[in-house]
Amino acid sequence: MLKKLTRFYYPKTIEEACLHLGNKEHKTALIAGGTSEVLRSDNSIEALVDLSKVKELCYIRQDSTYIHIGAGTPVQDIYKSKDLKGPSGELLKTAAGKIGSTLLRNSITAAGNLAGLFPWSDLPPVYMALDAEVVCRKGKPKRTVPVQRLIDNRADKFLAEAEIISEIMVPVYGKGTGVHFAKFAKTSNDYAMISLAIRLTQKGGVIESARVAVNAITAVPARCHEVENALLGKKGSAELFAEAAKKATAGLTIRRDYRASSDYRKEVLGVMVRRGLQEAFDKAKK
Amino acid sequence: MKINTTINGKAVSLEVNPNIMLAEALRKAGYKGVKIGCGEGSCGACAVMIDGRPRNSCILPAAMAEGSEILTVEGMGNPENPHVLQQAFVDSGSTQCGYCNPGALIAAKALLDHNPNPTADDVKDALDGNLCRCTGYIKRIDAVLEAAKAGKKADQKPAKRAGGKK
Repeated sequence: MLKKLTRFYYPKTIEEACLHLGNKEHKTALIAGGTSEVLRSDNSIEALVDLSKVKELCYIRQDSTYIHIGAGTPVQDIYKSKDLKGPSGELLKTAAGKIGSTLLRNSITAAGNLAGLFPWSDLPPVYMALDAEVVCRKGKPKRTVPVQRLIDNRADKFLAEAEIISEIMVPVYGKGTGVHFAKFAKTSNDYAMISLAIRLTQKGGVIESARVAVNAITAVPARCHEVENALLGKKGSAELFAEAAKKATAGLTIRRDYRASSDYRKEVLGVMVRRGLQEAFDKAKK
Repeated sequence: MKINTTINGKAVSLEVNPNIMLAEALRKAGYKGVKIGCGEGSCGACAVMIDGRPRNSCILPAAMAEGSEILTVEGMGNPENPHVLQQAFVDSGSTQCGYCNPGALIAAKALLDHNPNPTADDVKDALDGNLCRCTGYIKRIDAVLEAAKAGKKADQKPAKRAGGKK
C-alpha cells in the first residue's frame, strides 16, 4: 500500500518516462506489469510512472549476435515467441513459460522480473546463465551493463535517478552449447522453491564454458561457481556431473520457509543440477 | 482520480482511489461478473481482458487501466444471447458453483481469439491460471474444444440456445 499515492503518469516514450521519474515535485516510482504492487509498501511514494503504455519498450528481436528484449515485454510474449531460436531462445522460452500462469505472464515483464528481483523470479538466473547485458536509459543517454552488476547492486540502488531499464540483450550461442531450465515448486503455478538455469558449451566433449545459476533456493539469484569450476576443461560424463553436482550448494545461503526446509532443498538441488548438467551436455553435443 | 476506459465496448469514466485494484473498481461500477477469489493473482476468478490480453484484475492497480479496452464476462454474452463459449460451458456441465466461470471464460476467449483451432494441450495451457474447486477441469477443456468447433470464430456470433437453465 502506498499511503501517499495521489497520481499516475502515463508516458508514451522512454524520454517522457525518465522526465516524470526525475521530477522534483513528487517522489515517484515505476510500475510496469503491476503484479508486485500489492506487495509494495512505501509511505513516501506520491506518484507512479506507468511504463505499460511505452510502446518502444515492448519488442523481441534476434540478430546474429544478440536477442534484444524490450524491458516492458510481457513474459507471455517470450514464452509464445516464434522468433526466438537457438540455445538462448530455448532457455528464455522454457523459463518464461514456467512463470506463474497465463494471466500473470500477460502482466509480468522481462525487466520487471529483474528489477523486482524477488526470490521466486524465474528469469534472473536465466539472464545470468546466458551472460545477458542490460541497457539502461536516462532520457537519451544509455549505458549497457552486465546483468550480474545489476543483480549484485539491486536495480533500485544501481539505477541512477531518472534512469530506467530499457532492454535485455541476450547473447546468441551457436553449435556446441546446450541449456537446461527447471523449476521446483509445489504446483506449476506456485512460487518456485528452486529455479535452476544451466548453459554448457563443449567442444569434442570437453567443457569450455559453464554457467549454473539458481534462484528461489537463495534470497537473491546466485551462480554455483564451484560446480562451474569443477566442469571446466574436463570431458563431460555422468561421473563428472555427479561429482560436480555435490558442490551445488557450496557458498550459498539456502532459504527455508513453510514450503520446505533448507536441508530438503539442498538435497533436491543436488539432484536437479546433476540431471540438468547431463541434459544440457547431451543437447550441446547434438 | 479519474480514469477513462472502454468497458465492453462502451466508453466509461471511473472515479478510483489510486491504491484500489481493478477488480474492486469494476465491481463497484456494477461489473459483478468480475469475481474476487484469492485476491493475490493465483486463482484467476478476476480475469478480464485488457487490450486483448487476459490478466488478473485483482492485483492490477485500477489506474493502470487508463486508456485501455476492458472486456468482462458481461461483454461476452447474456442468458438470452450467450457467447458460444458460455453455451458450451452450459452444455458440457462445466458449472457447479460458477464462481470461477467468468475468469475461465475470459481466458478461453483470449485463446480462441488467437487460436481458433486449439488442441487440448493449448486449452490446458491457456486456462492454467484459472482454478476451479468444484467442477474440475475435464469438462471445461471439452467445452472450449466444442466451442472452437461450433464457433470457429468464437467471436461475436452468439450460439443458439439449446436447452440448459438460465
